[in-house]
Amino acid sequence: MESAELKKILAAYDTLINEKLSLNVASLSSINLDKSAKSTQSMLVYRVIEIVIFSLLAIFMGNYIATNWSETHLAISGIIVNFFILIALSGAIGQVVILQQIDYKEPIVVIRKKIEKVNTHGLLFLKLMFLSMPIWWSYVVVAGDYLFNIDVYKGMDADFVLKYLMINSLLVVPLVWFLNKLSYKNLHITWVKKTIQLFTSSKTMKALEFLNTIEEFEK
Amino acid sequence: MRLDKKARFIKTIDEHKKIIYKIVNAYCSNKEDRKDLEQEILIQLWNSFDNYNSKYKYSTWMYRIALNVAISFYRKETKRFAKNDLYNEASIFKIEEDANDKETVLNYHLKILQDFIQNLNELNKALMLLYLEEKSYEEIAQVLGITKTNVATKISRIKIKLKKEFKKL
Repeated sequence: MESAELKKILAAYDTLINEKLSLNVASLSSINLDKSAKSTQSMLVYRVIEIVIFSLLAIFMGNYIATNWSETHLAISGIIVNFFILIALSGAIGQVVILQQIDYKEPIVVIRKKIEKVNTHGLLFLKLMFLSMPIWWSYVVVAGDYLFNIDVYKGMDADFVLKYLMINSLLVVPLVWFLNKLSYKNLHITWVKKTIQLFTSSKTMKALEFLNTIEEFEK
Repeated sequence: MRLDKKARFIKTIDEHKKIIYKIVNAYCSNKEDRKDLEQEILIQLWNSFDNYNSKYKYSTWMYRIALNVAISFYRKETKRFAKNDLYNEASIFKIEEDANDKETVLNYHLKILQDFIQNLNELNKALMLLYLEEKSYEEIAQVLGITKTNVATKISRIKIKLKKEFKKL
């Protein structure tokens, strides 16, 4: 398309709009302009709710650890569970910080990256879930003790526990590799895409795909 | 004071109404979505009105905000904007319908161009709208947040695709 030809079409379009387009001032005057239109408002509310929930859980676990400090296995299990709660809490706080920074006056690519990173929040929970796999027993120990007053650990053979811990620790390296793969940069890898699709929402998937699109756009 | 601000705002919108009109038509294919997007853009422009940075031309500043809002709107999974106030169902735009509008070659080419822009992804739509507004590559780069060279390359590629569309005629 030659530039001159394009300009001719556009000039005709502009003329058309100039002649036929007018503002419905009555309609514009009656719009409630003080209404907040930020589509990020609802996301902010959800993240604040998450912060409150994870903060309460962290306080509860802190109390549990302190109460059971003399029982090493309970304290260690509590510390591990609290570690993951704190990661989730810091993730939610980070998201609130990003949301507060969103200003539509900024360049489009900058804003889109921030918004889509917020929309991929589900991926953090997916990663935390997988990261919890080698230490899932700590959730069982804490839940068993707190909810049912059953000390699961005491019923186990020490030798079995040691072997079990050793086997689980072997999972850490492949798990870290696996979690690093779960990124928008690897959506072209079939198993990565299918794993993320299986465990997260379509919103998270769309956001990851768009982060890819943004990266391509910036090249 | 507020009435004065609103009057200035309406005057500004009237002067630059084409910008909102073009963006809304590029990002929304149906009438209801267009009305919703018009409102969201206006509210965002109103909220930013006092913070207008005279370093930029008002039209560029308006494009930046309106395009950001449009892309967010376009990417929403559920599009209906929750309206608490039901009075306003009318669009802010009035278009004169002309029964004598001729099906000229120019109008036909314009339709192809509009359809082409509609089919671009959100970011390329923004790029094309700015280019067609005769913004400089530097301004386009600033609004989009990419380099000038990138703007030039992308525009060149899109124009090649557009040429193919016209060649199909």
